[in-house]
Amino acid sequence: MSIKAPRKGENYELSVDLNSEYREKRKDAIKRVIASMTVGKDVSGLFPDVLKNMQTDDLEQKKLVYLYLMNYAKTQPELVILAVNTFVKDSDDPNPLVRALAIRTMGVLRAEKIIDYLCDPLQKCLRDENPYVRKTAALCVAKLYDLKPELVIDNGFLEQLHEMIADSNPMVVANTVAALTDIHIAASSQSSISSNDPALFPISSSILTKLLIALNECSEWGRVAILNALARYVAKDDKESEHICERVVPQFQHVNGSVVLAAVKVIMIHMRGVRREDLIKQLVRKMAPPLVTLLSSPPEVQWVALRNINLLLQKRPDILSNEMRVFFCKYNDPLYVKVEKLDIMVRLAGENNVDALLSELKEYASEVDVDFVRKSIKAIGQTAIKIDAAAERCVHVLLDLIDTRVSYVVQEAVVVMKDIFRKYPSTYEGIIPTLCANLDELDEPEAKASLIWIIGEYANKIDNADELLGIFVDTFTEESYPVQLQTLTAVVKLFLKKPDSSQGIVQRILNTATKDCDSPDVRDRAYIYWRLLSTDPGAAKAVVLAQRPPISIPRTTVAPALLEELLGEVSSLASVYHKPEETFVGKGRVGAESLQRRTDAPDDRFSTQKALQTVAAGQQAENLLDFDDAPAVEGRPSGLAATEVLSHTPAAANLLAGTSSNPLDDLVSIFGAPATPAPPSANSHDIFGGLGVNSAFSSVGTGSLGSPAVQSPSVAVPPLQKNQQPEDDLLGLF
Amino acid sequence: MALDGIIILDHYGRPIIQSGFRSSTTAYSLLHIDAVNNALQKAERSADVDSVIYVPPSNTANGSSACCHVEVGDLRFLCPVSGDVDPLLAFAFLQTFIDILREYLGTVSAATLRDNFDIVYQLFEETLDSGGHPLTTYSNALRDIVIPPSLLNKLLSVTGTNFNSTINSGFGAGAAVGPFSSPLPWRKTGVRYNNNEIYFDIIEQLKAIVNKNGTVVSSHVHGKIEANAKLSGTPDCSLNFTNPQVLDDCALHPCVRLHRWNRDKMLSFVPPDGRFTLMDYTFSSNPLTSPTPTQQSLPSVMSSRSNLAIPFMIKAIVKLEDSGGSFDVTLTSRYSTHALENIVADINLGAGAGGIRCNVSRGSGGGGFINAGGSRNLDTSGASSGASWSFDAQRTVLRWEIPIVSPSSSWSLHGSFSTGTRAPRPSHAIRVRFDISSHTYSALKVGQLKVTNAKENYKPYKGVRGRSSGEVEWRW
Repeated sequence: MSIKAPRKGENYELSVDLNSEYREKRKDAIKRVIASMTVGKDVSGLFPDVLKNMQTDDLEQKKLVYLYLMNYAKTQPELVILAVNTFVKDSDDPNPLVRALAIRTMGVLRAEKIIDYLCDPLQKCLRDENPYVRKTAALCVAKLYDLKPELVIDNGFLEQLHEMIADSNPMVVANTVAALTDIHIAASSQSSISSNDPALFPISSSILTKLLIALNECSEWGRVAILNALARYVAKDDKESEHICERVVPQFQHVNGSVVLAAVKVIMIHMRGVRREDLIKQLVRKMAPPLVTLLSSPPEVQWVALRNINLLLQKRPDILSNEMRVFFCKYNDPLYVKVEKLDIMVRLAGENNVDALLSELKEYASEVDVDFVRKSIKAIGQTAIKIDAAAERCVHVLLDLIDTRVSYVVQEAVVVMKDIFRKYPSTYEGIIPTLCANLDELDEPEAKASLIWIIGEYANKIDNADELLGIFVDTFTEESYPVQLQTLTAVVKLFLKKPDSSQGIVQRILNTATKDCDSPDVRDRAYIYWRLLSTDPGAAKAVVLAQRPPISIPRTTVAPALLEELLGEVSSLASVYHKPEETFVGKGRVGAESLQRRTDAPDDRFSTQKALQTVAAGQQAENLLDFDDAPAVEGRPSGLAATEVLSHTPAAANLLAGTSSNPLDDLVSIFGAPATPAPPSANSHDIFGGLGVNSAFSSVGTGSLGSPAVQSPSVAVPPLQKNQQPEDDLLGLF
Repeated sequence: MALDGIIILDHYGRPIIQSGFRSSTTAYSLLHIDAVNNALQKAERSADVDSVIYVPPSNTANGSSACCHVEVGDLRFLCPVSGDVDPLLAFAFLQTFIDILREYLGTVSAATLRDNFDIVYQLFEETLDSGGHPLTTYSNALRDIVIPPSLLNKLLSVTGTNFNSTINSGFGAGAAVGPFSSPLPWRKTGVRYNNNEIYFDIIEQLKAIVNKNGTVVSSHVHGKIEANAKLSGTPDCSLNFTNPQVLDDCALHPCVRLHRWNRDKMLSFVPPDGRFTLMDYTFSSNPLTSPTPTQQSLPSVMSSRSNLAIPFMIKAIVKLEDSGGSFDVTLTSRYSTHALENIVADINLGAGAGGIRCNVSRGSGGGGFINAGGSRNLDTSGASSGASWSFDAQRTVLRWEIPIVSPSSSWSLHGSFSTGTRAPRPSHAIRVRFDISSHTYSALKVGQLKVTNAKENYKPYKGVRGRSSGEVEWRW
């Protein structure tokens, strides 16, 4: 050996001890070497000394030496070769633990030169009499495949693994399945793979039988592996689907949450093939208790469970219809859990439980956490829009909240009220004075814009509407763009409704907006209004005061096609993010470039499909409101309430898709030939490209209400939203 | 492509120990540590950090991944995952691993981990395959392959004798009863005890929310049966209950024979050796069974939809002014037979709260007031004995602690706080945690426990205990 340790210092002392004549001293020295390794000291110089201690009867000591070897195998493969002989010898040891340890360690070392010596011992260990050795060997095959696939194929290890699925020991079966699945995934991530490649692991019906037998016998981790394999199986007919469901259902009673969730996934997948209604009902009923039980776990587990429940509810809203109380928030729940619970509660809301829900939401609105308070108030609005019969009660709760005069509560309530006015026009005019009384309290653009919209909409019923709007006209240039846009539209509405008293104010605002305003959007809109008003007041009326269709809450937050795909991914990261797997995690060792490609592909597909749908059905355009939350965009129809409203025509789609597009262009397109809907704007792709899944956490899933700030109040968004209304009005003309 | 490993961070976010990460680059674990630390720094409350953190790829060579993490005492356990893995698998595995560490080390802390690097490394190796598959996690099987640090081991290593190694090598010699030869993965073979005994603990936890009228808005009781089996050979136990109808949503240890349970509501099992959780359940408050042995006259506010009484009642009068407030909280036990223990009531006073003045006192009732004799009156030393309050200025939480509330007694806390310039905005809820010994909400009763053993004939000592705790959010 060329490496010589210095004659002093810690390493020297260790080296002396490693060569001591006393076993205990040597063992203790090895432990100290490991400890130094852990804290990041370089102890590679002791390699030969440690290696001398590899031959020992003391299993613990052997493990520690192996540990050392594994740690330095990556950086110093040439030294590891020195240990090969001992490895090979150990794989023949009478003690099964030593055999398994040797084979496992050799598989982990990842050194080219060791690999060649691995095959013979591995061959033997796969046929070992001891199940522990066999299962260790099975996993080792997967690792070998990772390094040198041809060795696995040449040595017939794959065939051997396939035989081992019928092993008498369930643990061996489970680990074999895990190994074959690993190889399957590694092989299918290769671009040049034929469908009959031996490395692929299709689940045949004979394998299915063996898996179902092993399922009840093995450890929880083994069950998860087997259940994941079952999820890939394609049932021949409905009888087989039923059979699988019936065999998997008992797994709901396992203590381990990951087993439960994996079982839920298998059931959801194979339930598609079940025809018997009674069985479906029974399965759905059995699914509820284990899901509820998961909610008594620590918050991090709860959160994963909640995300999955949210997804399941979109497909089967009946699963937890009687369990809303389980989702009531405690004030010390972490915010991410509360938000998810809130969303599920609104999803479960119905006429029978809406009172309980509302009193809860009111409770939450008095909490300490500002974010949560805002979300609770949003939820009240969602409830009002979802359940017609409860709308009045919701309005009363909101009024109570406005009475508290807590600034952010009032502002959020005003924003929500605007949505309620949209859904139930001319129903709650009586509360407008209360809202207007809080005018001075508002300092957030969204709240201001909402109140201005309400004033404009009901200008003819508010005696002092011109006074109120005058306040905003006075400070026009200081306001943010969304407020400016909204003020502009409201004043025009006022003028159209009360032309006699508001001539002055409309003149003033059109002047200011066209001359002193630095936002092209505001200027352009002012010009349009001006021209409309001066050429044809009748047309202006038809445009600006057009009837808007009511808004509604979508039942799902993800597209149906995506929902199906995600349900197949229940109990996986995909289900937690509510996005398909390819979009956030690269498979295996796929490069970033191909990841990027894959990310974009489905997106484009969806977008195109989307655009076509838009033209055909004349509804549901690119979701503008999602722009505040990048991941939610993705070019999929997420069908948020306001979007459905706003995007009736291709032109609207066009308008909504291009965030930065000039309103005039759109106007042109309206007047021109039927506009080709622009492919959902490049913007959405940009946002998506820089996608942070983090933000998806808070964003996806919360059914929003036409107010973009449902997820994250962002100042950048409101312009878009406010933008829509007048434009929408414009469109009404044609 | 699965669970990539485990990293344990200390209180300051520095790694103490981590598993090998052999199939990924060296930077991989560092990326995850950074991602978690960054997220924690950004968050106001560490509890509000998402439990699954997205970790973008460091370079073009590897894909992105996610990091699941949990806090345990002073430590934080990280489990990086790549590929489309069930995060619940990661959490379940972390929890299992933490349980194993507890069993091996007693307490899990930075100090105990540092003292037992070798053990922890061995556990990493045995429990998680480098390909990301959890391996052996049954402690019965693990104890065969990773020797727990025992006093004996320590003594031997100090004196420098060689017995230890001979104990270990005994495995090789006695391979006949070698590891994993047991047909039951959860139970090792050849267990011997001089005194055969099996104990069951029925532990129930009540979680409830009560609104300001005293009505129970939601309440759930989750129970589990923990067992400690010290039985020789391969004992076959069968356990039944006199009132199994109170059990709902049962989740069973894999050793329980499912079909027997589904058919006869009989727990039939060959237990693992030592401690394990036999079953988890939810208490379904069936109106036919009187669930709680509470006193005769429950207040009429008890709603009809939940017939589970909260063991105490709170009256809270809070007055809020422009820059502060005063509060007067009274807690009265509704139980006439059982004392509530270790009561901790937390009130979040909201941002800016300070200048707390408080007075805790013991009100009327309790002791010999109703039917309890003087002996039951555990607290005899006068007004506020034992009870105390404290204030965590950082979290603005006022904590009121009462070691024991004897049956039917009442306690009160009154005081004031100020919030300086801003308006007071306390949380409208009091969170109360408590324990009750020798009591279960469900009144679940073990009917019969039979232990049969083909080879040996012994009469084990059997014991069953009940214990309850609760966490109630009482709104005002």
